[in-house]
Amino acid sequence: MGRTYLGEFEELVLLTVGVLYQDAYAVAITKEIIEQSGRSVNVSAVHKSLYRLEEKGMLESKLSDPESKRGGKRKRIFSITPFGKRALDESMDLRTSLRKQIPDMAFKWQIG
Amino acid sequence: MKNNNNKVPKLAHLFFRWYCKKEMYEELHGDLEEFFYERVKDKGPFKARLLYIWDVIRCCQSYAVRKPKTQNTTIMMLNNYFKTSTRSLLKNPLTSFINIFGLAVAIGICLTVYAFMDFEYKIDQFHANKGQVYLTTFYTNRDGSIERYGMSPAPLGELLSTDFPQIQKVCRVEESNVVVKYEDEVFHETLTYVDPSFLEMFTFPLGKGVNKSLNDLNSIILSHDMAIKYFGDDNVLGKDLEVIFSDSNKKVFKVAGVAEPFPKPHDLGFNFLIHFDNLDYARPTNDLSNWDQFITATFIQVNDPNQIAGLEEGMEKYKLLQNEKNSDWAIESFSLEPFVTLYANSAEIRKAIVYNGSAEGRIALPIIAIFMLGLACFNYINISIVSAAKRLKEIGVRKVIGASKNKIAFQFLFENIFVTLFALVLGLLLAVFMFLPWFIGISERSMELNFFNPELWIFLSIVLVFTGVVSGLYPAFYISKFNVIRIFRGSVHFGKKNPLTKLFLGFQLIMASILMTGAVMLTQNSNFQAKRTWGYDPNNVLYVELPDSSAFNRLEAQLIQNTNVVSVAGAIHHLGNNHTTTVIHQPDRKYEVDRLSVGPKYFETMGLQLKAGRFFKDHSENDHAAIVVNELFVENLNLSQPIGHVFEIDSMRYEVVGVVENFHLYNFYYEVLPTIFSLAETTDYKFMAIEVKSGAQPITYATLKKDWAVLFPEIPFQGDFQTRLWDNFYKDLQTQKTFSTTIATIAILLASLGLYGLVMLNVSGRVREFSIRKVFGAETKNIIKSVTNQYVLLTVISMIIGAPISYVLNKALIGMMFPETMQADYFGAFIAVFIIVSVLLTVVSTQIFRVVKSNPVDGLKME
Repeated sequence: MGRTYLGEFEELVLLTVGVLYQDAYAVAITKEIIEQSGRSVNVSAVHKSLYRLEEKGMLESKLSDPESKRGGKRKRIFSITPFGKRALDESMDLRTSLRKQIPDMAFKWQIG
Repeated sequence: MKNNNNKVPKLAHLFFRWYCKKEMYEELHGDLEEFFYERVKDKGPFKARLLYIWDVIRCCQSYAVRKPKTQNTTIMMLNNYFKTSTRSLLKNPLTSFINIFGLAVAIGICLTVYAFMDFEYKIDQFHANKGQVYLTTFYTNRDGSIERYGMSPAPLGELLSTDFPQIQKVCRVEESNVVVKYEDEVFHETLTYVDPSFLEMFTFPLGKGVNKSLNDLNSIILSHDMAIKYFGDDNVLGKDLEVIFSDSNKKVFKVAGVAEPFPKPHDLGFNFLIHFDNLDYARPTNDLSNWDQFITATFIQVNDPNQIAGLEEGMEKYKLLQNEKNSDWAIESFSLEPFVTLYANSAEIRKAIVYNGSAEGRIALPIIAIFMLGLACFNYINISIVSAAKRLKEIGVRKVIGASKNKIAFQFLFENIFVTLFALVLGLLLAVFMFLPWFIGISERSMELNFFNPELWIFLSIVLVFTGVVSGLYPAFYISKFNVIRIFRGSVHFGKKNPLTKLFLGFQLIMASILMTGAVMLTQNSNFQAKRTWGYDPNNVLYVELPDSSAFNRLEAQLIQNTNVVSVAGAIHHLGNNHTTTVIHQPDRKYEVDRLSVGPKYFETMGLQLKAGRFFKDHSENDHAAIVVNELFVENLNLSQPIGHVFEIDSMRYEVVGVVENFHLYNFYYEVLPTIFSLAETTDYKFMAIEVKSGAQPITYATLKKDWAVLFPEIPFQGDFQTRLWDNFYKDLQTQKTFSTTIATIAILLASLGLYGLVMLNVSGRVREFSIRKVFGAETKNIIKSVTNQYVLLTVISMIIGAPISYVLNKALIGMMFPETMQADYFGAFIAVFIIVSVLLTVVSTQIFRVVKSNPVDGLKME
């Protein structure tokens, strides 16, 4: 099986799902990303990534109990699957290893 | 109110409900609502509602949107047709490519021809009053045949405006060559004398200046190009231009206007406009009230086109005036040519101000375009019939499920229009980026495809529907007729022996042979024309135009010292440049001939060949009553003893003293006409012909120009190698060669693509048969025979029919273009047939090769 690639934003969503642990649903994730990264994110973008990640098998989900603050509707809570964790680890490892391979010289800028 | 504000906007909510998947509505809308309520608290209800609407729009993405369930069966069917069409196109990429590419090339050619015709028919059609403007023309009897002329007797214009109140405006036009001087720069230019009504009659708006300024005798109006040439971007108005009519006649004009650039499709135009009455000043000896004077044109404008017939009748009375005064130009009748049709008809009107040089193109190009489209359509018909064999099951299943015959036919037509649409887009690209630039390059017309012009889109849709239906109708009905039971039983056999397929292929081959023969014959003709002799020796001759009466002697004195110069001669008319026509009177008939007035040494200098008698003697007063004639003159007048024969010309008696070999006055588009030479006075010389030693032309030319600059600093040098007069003609020949070869190549390409497709489908359909033959030990030659059998006879028959047709058609075409053509024989058609047959053989042999090389096991393992 070939590698499953993670988009940059997908990775962000995946990580945030992990951070929020039991409270990971679209609204909370959106707010968390806005707060932590300072980007302006629309909930639809988060939706898209969530369902895509679920399709890829990196997330699984179940419906919660109805809540009044959302008009008596249930919400879909997401959690990371082992495959999702592996994808995250691989991605992190790759970055770390690449970062380590950058020679020090590359960061010694000569001024002028 | 408050209550309402705290709810989500109704319309957006409904919209969301409508597009959202049912099973996802709860969770998704829950999220949106949660955001909404929070925002109502933080940012107020108004902003919250706006943001909610924004969210609804943002969420309208594939993950949330429910899949449409269309109820409309027609659309479903079309969807299905679309799908099967794409699949079958992709399944046979090669045949699809042949179809689409063939159609695209043909459509590209059609579009290019459309651009050409569109340009042609728009020429001179931008004038607002075009429907009311007419050119006066007249008919006159030229030795038995009635000819129409576009020039007009000089007094006609003035008489028309006084005699006929129904004529609104009259405009006389005369053109002449002058030298224009601005500061130190001088150029030869064509100057147009017009009545001030010119700018009202014709729509040439002035960018600078006003129309009225043309009333002023001292004003001059420039075309846009001329303003740039003389003044660049400077302010032009009020500048002085000196016009040198002749050495003794000069006049300074003030620039009073500059015209806007003329629309591209125009033939009538001008460089410099001045008031018509300046003619009195420019040519003091001419009397414009004299009926034997002609001017370039007289235009009239009337309110009501119905008055034209009456006007033509009323003009009859001028006949007497003209015929009394100028019996050489005895007018049979006057006629008014509408300006709208003038350009189209101008090939039929001699010496008309407007000239249409592309009469052949107007006929030949649309025919070529239709040929090409025909070729491509036949390809398509053939290939789709044969390839339907692969889709028999599909047709059978559709029929079993309940598709009617018409439905199937419609499906194939739809598919066809779909393919044509592809081809149309590709053809458009081909036309815009390849054919049109190429065609503009060779035809030197700045045509374009204007995509904002609705006519173009109408034309495109006509091409689409026409091509789609013509190429698709027959296959569609042919295919839809099959019987379902026979399809599934596998007993439908077709394609291989369909007589219509063969007929179409035959047509293609005939068309290809016509075009190919055209290319071969035009090439032969070009070679023939290039090798023809002129009847004199232009190779060592230079010529120069003389500005005034003393110029000849001054220049001659200079040139005599030059050792490279063999001889120098003067003339009023010069071969390849100009001539005049005159009428010879005989007791029983009048006879129009070309006339050249030349100096005594002109014949030797130009290398004209004497057949009988003698040339003019130097300094002989008697020879002013002598003429030298060409052979054709003798032949046409049936003179058994030409030398000593006396003719009356302009009520003077002339005796024939010599006969020269026929020669070509102009290039080979013009036929040799009966011609006479008369002796010219030295002071009247307009040209000098200089014979130089062979090989010394360039150096003498350079010295000549240098001498000229010293002798005549005010007059721009205007002379050249005699041979360069035909540069354009030879370029034209080259163009014809390239053009016809390109077209023929495309035609053969299309025909062979079609044949290739057919043979390929045929061979693939018979793989089993060939394999079985091979297994049983068939020899290569037997297999070749069984593949080619059906095509050999077809090719032979097509060529037997095609070759004579091509021969006759192309001979007629070349005969239309050149008065004297090569001794055309069947050789051209033969070469064309040879080329076509060898291309076909190559095409078929690729498939034969495939069959011969293939392993019979593979063939039998299939399915």
